[in-house]
Amino acid sequence: MENIVFGIGITALAGALATVAGAAEDTESNIGSQGDPNSQVQLAPQMGFLHRIFNKAVAGEPPAYGLWCCLGAGLAWAFMAMQINAVLAIVLGCILAVFVQGVYATTAYLGRQASLKKFGQPIYVDILKSMTTVTMAHAFVAIFCTVTLCYLMNTALGHPFPLPLLGLLSGIALGAAGSATGNPYYGKERQYQNQKFGAGVPISASGNIVRYAEAGERNSLDNGFFTAKLGGPASGVCFGLIVFLELWRTVIFENMKFPGLGAGWYPIFVGILIILVFTIIDRYIETWARKTYGPYTKPEEASS
Amino acid sequence: MTAVAAKPAAGGAMNPTAMGVGVVLLLILLGACYFVSPGLGLMALIGIIIGGVLIGFGTHFVPVGGAPAAMGQAPGIATGVAMLAAGAGLAGLSGGAWAAEEGTAVAVITGGVGGGLMMAITCMLVNFVYVFGMGIPAASGKVKKDPITGDTQAEFKSQGTEGHGLPFVSFVGGVIGGILGGAGGTIIYLMLLDLYKATLPITMKATEAQIMPIAVSLAGMFAVGMFLVNAVLTAYNITGTIEGPHDPKFKRWPRSIVASAAASALCGLVAVLIVAM
Repeated sequence: MENIVFGIGITALAGALATVAGAAEDTESNIGSQGDPNSQVQLAPQMGFLHRIFNKAVAGEPPAYGLWCCLGAGLAWAFMAMQINAVLAIVLGCILAVFVQGVYATTAYLGRQASLKKFGQPIYVDILKSMTTVTMAHAFVAIFCTVTLCYLMNTALGHPFPLPLLGLLSGIALGAAGSATGNPYYGKERQYQNQKFGAGVPISASGNIVRYAEAGERNSLDNGFFTAKLGGPASGVCFGLIVFLELWRTVIFENMKFPGLGAGWYPIFVGILIILVFTIIDRYIETWARKTYGPYTKPEEASS
Repeated sequence: MTAVAAKPAAGGAMNPTAMGVGVVLLLILLGACYFVSPGLGLMALIGIIIGGVLIGFGTHFVPVGGAPAAMGQAPGIATGVAMLAAGAGLAGLSGGAWAAEEGTAVAVITGGVGGGLMMAITCMLVNFVYVFGMGIPAASGKVKKDPITGDTQAEFKSQGTEGHGLPFVSFVGGVIGGILGGAGGTIIYLMLLDLYKATLPITMKATEAQIMPIAVSLAGMFAVGMFLVNAVLTAYNITGTIEGPHDPKFKRWPRSIVASAAASALCGLVAVLIVAM
């Protein structure tokens, strides 16, 4: 019983860490303009819209975070093997991983902006100075939380994978959850704030991203400020739910024997039940939107 | 022929020669494995091929819209095919590896459910952001009616776009893709773990308990690598984006299966050779 209570506590802590990691990851990727919406930041100067948005698509978010979390976890693991205290080892590992992120961000910004020279897009050194450190700070939060939750899974819950491999897997899952949930909010809702609310961006408007703020030109800090209100928390909830529910169903039901089948089947059935619950919620959201917002055109006028 | 004149291969256009070459390559690699390690090695390789094929097939179900989806210009999840499939499958692998002690069947199903759970949560939150964050209902650009719910799609498509969000069929496709990917990744991991557990103590002259950390790490790394190989191959097959099982591009799956089987056989042979030579 004590084991289960301990396990639930660790699961809750891991879920909370994952939530913070997801929110920080999405905000970092939006301030740095990484992920799919960056296609528009790259496209805008080619369409004649010069801007002051940071532009660092180092790689897709999942492999990028896979690398950074794996680096953080691997270095922390190495420090722990040198008998350094676990907390200090994780912090040190993550700091070093964040420096790698900073190097990638800097080279990506310079390289990408330089490639737009023939369209007249300048490289803003002040943008480089002010944005890179902010993305690094957010990346540190995301990497630190992910590596810590991997450490908890490995040490306290007994996951068989070594820490660096867990870091790689969790980093890829973090990037996948964060980019899937957060990207549309940054891509459509922020970059195309000049388009109609409640409709997708017409393909003809591609590249015409919003470049001016309340005062002066918009930069990526404004974008991070905006997306941290919904896209970031939604990504955090997404990754937090994934980690929490996955650990929860394993920790609580792992040792219970299902009549006639044996151990290990309860987590499976609970997992299937959770999938069904999310299916119902999704269907409710979809039908709610159809009823509340209604169609854009009358059905008989619609063409496929 | 120019690119403009080239026929778009939207459907399931197959190239029999290429498929034949793939199958022959697969048989040669299986033969090579039989020559090097006829017992355990061959069994592991067959398991790896089955796992790879499951990953390749499963990735076709995952609704991925890429960059256009991030602007609400196309339906699907706004990220890359390989990335999302890898995220879901590896989340499943992480759970499946945990259940490895309970037996192969339980571990594989646990891995599958883990991948499906990740996709269910992600797809639900994608629709949540579209509907409550951006006020956009889900609409498919490829079919007039959702094949599962029968909901009409065309009138919910905003002007100048190909659709947006995740219609119910795409949600279901995403969950199925996550399940197949998670199960496939776990099969590869378990097959390699069994092989390494049996052979590494002899090769390294150590007890099974001593080689376990190495066996687990090696099998895990190979499983992640082979997952990415198969997911990326499928991403090429569907040219980057797909709406789910109702998309015409879904019909291309047979050639991806052959490619996945051949690629998994080659990668699996390398993983077997580490301990067989």
